[in-house]
Amino acid sequence: MDSQIIEVLNVTRGVAWLPWAVSYFFLIGLSYGSFMLTLPYFVFGRAQHEKLGRLALLGALVCGLTAPVALLADLHGPGRFLNFYLHFQPQSWMSWGSFFIPIYLAGLLLYAWLALRGDFAVRGQGGTSLLARLYRLAGRGGEAPRMAIAAAALLALAGAVLVALYTGMEVMVVHARPLWNTPFLPAQFAATAFAGAIGLALLFNRFIGGRDSELEIGLNRLLVLALALVLTLGGGWLFVSLSGVSPSHSAAFSQVAGMPQWQLTAVWTALATIVPMALATWRPASSGLITGLIAVHSAWMMRWTIFIGGQSIPKTGAGLYDYHLPLGNDGLLGIVGTLGLWIALLVLMLEYLPWAGQAVAAGNEKATNALAANAIASH
Amino acid sequence: MIQSRRNFLRALPAITAGAALAPAPAIASAAGKEDGRHRWAMVVDVQKCIGCQACTVSCIMENAVPENSFRTIVSTYEVHDDKRTNTYMLPRLCNHCANPPCIPVCPVGATFQRKDGVVVVDGDRCVGCAYCVQACPYDARFINHETGKADKCTFCAHRVDAGLLPACVETCVGGARIFGDLNDPGSKVRHLVDQNKMKVLKPEMGTQPHVFYLGLDERFQGHVEGAGTLWQPSGHGG
Ligand code: SF4
Ligand code: SF4
Repeated sequence: MDSQIIEVLNVTRGVAWLPWAVSYFFLIGLSYGSFMLTLPYFVFGRAQHEKLGRLALLGALVCGLTAPVALLADLHGPGRFLNFYLHFQPQSWMSWGSFFIPIYLAGLLLYAWLALRGDFAVRGQGGTSLLARLYRLAGRGGEAPRMAIAAAALLALAGAVLVALYTGMEVMVVHARPLWNTPFLPAQFAATAFAGAIGLALLFNRFIGGRDSELEIGLNRLLVLALALVLTLGGGWLFVSLSGVSPSHSAAFSQVAGMPQWQLTAVWTALATIVPMALATWRPASSGLITGLIAVHSAWMMRWTIFIGGQSIPKTGAGLYDYHLPLGNDGLLGIVGTLGLWIALLVLMLEYLPWAGQAVAAGNEKATNALAANAIASH
Repeated sequence: MIQSRRNFLRALPAITAGAALAPAPAIASAAGKEDGRHRWAMVVDVQKCIGCQACTVSCIMENAVPENSFRTIVSTYEVHDDKRTNTYMLPRLCNHCANPPCIPVCPVGATFQRKDGVVVVDGDRCVGCAYCVQACPYDARFINHETGKADKCTFCAHRVDAGLLPACVETCVGGARIFGDLNDPGSKVRHLVDQNKMKVLKPEMGTQPHVFYLGLDERFQGHVEGAGTLWQPSGHGG
């Protein structure tokens, strides 16, 4: 029998995890990804990775400190957040998350402080201003022993792994949304987080790192690998969905496959992965700005699609729920506000944190001087 | 004792059946509501629903549900089968599942199930994280934009505890919603569930819903394949 159904009346459920959630997942991902990039220099002492280590530390800190603000804002009762700590629920991934985030952030802050302790001491030399005294306080003991830095890094690493795990699992366990309910998801979150962190490092290298072309090449190479992983995971998901090995994957696929907006998203995602891979391979020394931008954008867009796109699929009703980004707090203003906070924190850190150490700072100055000299010469 | 006209009318069939001799409380005994003696459940006789949304409105009134949000609604569909066109009505509400996926996800233990099967939210504890909203396979939950807390159908627990019927049942014009105690061998829901082939929504999710549907068309049992809703609320959806 030929039959057709049109829904005339049904409830429309608005998204309950707001764009704030996208911001949180995005920022915390960039943070733990960036943290990983700091390890070669600060923990393993590879001098050639100093600039990367310092830029990435900046990225890990600025994203890591902004993320919890977005997370709190996503609670519809942010003032009640203490309940997380008063009523621990071992069967809920979100409950675990409320303990993992402080572990990660505490580890990260301790690690950053120890890693920069020598630099704090240098900044505090001489001077009697309050700031100089604060630097001296932060730098007391001078350069931290390698073992201490490594121990703090281990704590932050444990936190980072736990955060990566819980953010993925929390979404994966939602059986009610076939699109989320896939073991690929945690891996996809992590892989795009790394790609995004590499993208962020590329952008930092451009705008604050004095555009080190060796670093740009190295990061572009790394980006190709990370994006290859993203592509493999995406392909794996597609294969499992199309081959029919897993009915829940096929269900998720068939829910969205026929919809034009989802087809567009799929093409966009594929392009946003393949184009930076091609550029990074073809022009590793000069494409950093664009590959970095696209990589950061992909990390954002993947989360946006999963959360906002995922929630616009009705669980029982027909068609799609309409989502229009509201202009206020729970929409555009929230995103812009988070970005503003991020920028403000970054500016403060650039100004007051001895993130660049001595060598990099000097190198940057040289690069800036060279830029200035070039500019003067060309006039 | 409930003395309202409606309850009196409701009791009439029971009187004629000889099961009761006078207008009786809607629910035989509400005493010991938390001791697990009762297991509240609902049967929805789909064929009796006329799609008037009286239940939708009475629920909003009874529970102060904010504008554009719904604890229950009668989903309405236009169904074209060959040359015939029909309207299909499906009352939806929280299923008060025996195995509710909304409970284990709650990070603060604010969502819980009473001994009588009713799934409720402790508003003092709820942080409004909306995890339960995601986990419910039926879109039965939403965040109440006035309270910032998870909201959903409670089977009108406050009324049931006082020996009254849920508001939607009380107002149902077609008599499509039948509410009662599954543990009571003499209750109408028990009879209906025992004597009919009941369907539940999305049985494959393993949630064991306790809202049972009589005469449910399979095409509406899960995610409905069809053209999307023509009506969207203007403000806060959900
Ligand atoms: S229908 Fe949804 S909200 Fe109600 S008990 Fe089941 S899972 Fe929970
Ligand atoms: S919104 Fe409230 S009831 Fe729902 S999971 Fe979060 S804290 Fe629990």
